[in-house]
Amino acid sequence: MNFLTLFARNLWHGPYTDVFPFGPATTPEHLRARITFDPKQCEGCRLCEKVCPAGAIRFTRTPGGMTFDCWHATCVFCGTCEFYCPTKAVKQSNDWHLAHEQGEKYAQVEHGLIPNQICVECGAKALDTSPAVSHIKPPLSETEVSELRARCPKCRNKYLRSRKTS
Amino acid sequence: MTFINKLKDFAVKSPWLYRINGGSCNGCDVELATTACIPRYDVERLGCQYCGSPRHADIVLITGPLTRRVLDAARRVYDEIPDPKVTVAVGVCPISGGIFRESYAVCAPIDQYFPVDVNVPGCPPRPQAIIEGVAKAIAIWRQRL
Repeated sequence: MNFLTLFARNLWHGPYTDVFPFGPATTPEHLRARITFDPKQCEGCRLCEKVCPAGAIRFTRTPGGMTFDCWHATCVFCGTCEFYCPTKAVKQSNDWHLAHEQGEKYAQVEHGLIPNQICVECGAKALDTSPAVSHIKPPLSETEVSELRARCPKCRNKYLRSRKTS
Repeated sequence: MTFINKLKDFAVKSPWLYRINGGSCNGCDVELATTACIPRYDVERLGCQYCGSPRHADIVLITGPLTRRVLDAARRVYDEIPDPKVTVAVGVCPISGGIFRESYAVCAPIDQYFPVDVNVPGCPPRPQAIIEGVAKAIAIWRQRL
């Protein structure tokens, strides 16, 4: 009797083959594939560059600020960068459409720029990084975070110290 | 000319695949086997079939970072594949070296030695990505015929 139910189910179900090259593919939600980078959230700690086993991530200081580059042709999609990123600026999406022709080999780069800004307090030029606020107690309000963000690292320290005393 | 074009369209329906393992960890080779053997992915829908001899091959899939010991053998096998052929680098190792990049024991990237046409990054690439790469290779092969 069992084989008859199997037979009926297979007749109803149709082929199990993925339609992929002729239609959309089924992709698991948590598949580890293409890296995405959000420069707005980056703290500039460069931890992802340090932990990347394939050396795919590189930060470079440029006159305009600091650039983030992740080359997908050497990335092994281990997810270590996402795990260690304190603000989740580096994330892994489930977009696996990475096959490309040889001419586009060196264009498979996720690029982001953390721009320079002028500190509102001392006028020095510093990176517009997201402030590291996750461990600060009591937690900062949103206006405090935006005030902190507009400052250079030295003035950020000064701001936090003055906050503690008051 | 239309007759020749029709013949080419006919030929492009059955490209045969050949695998060269250039010192791979076998992760990509398992994915290549999966692509062909598991009905869920089934690369044979595109008319592809793995062949045992390089002389029958049309599309060559290279896996692995091409270790120094295997370089000579890989070159000899590659030269036996008749033209026109399309080369697909499967996995990050042949494309850039991956985690073995800049090692003294590997000759990656392989585009120093072989004219690569399509790259399929991933460690290992998922079977659908390999099918995508093979589909791109078939399009290139049609142009070369």
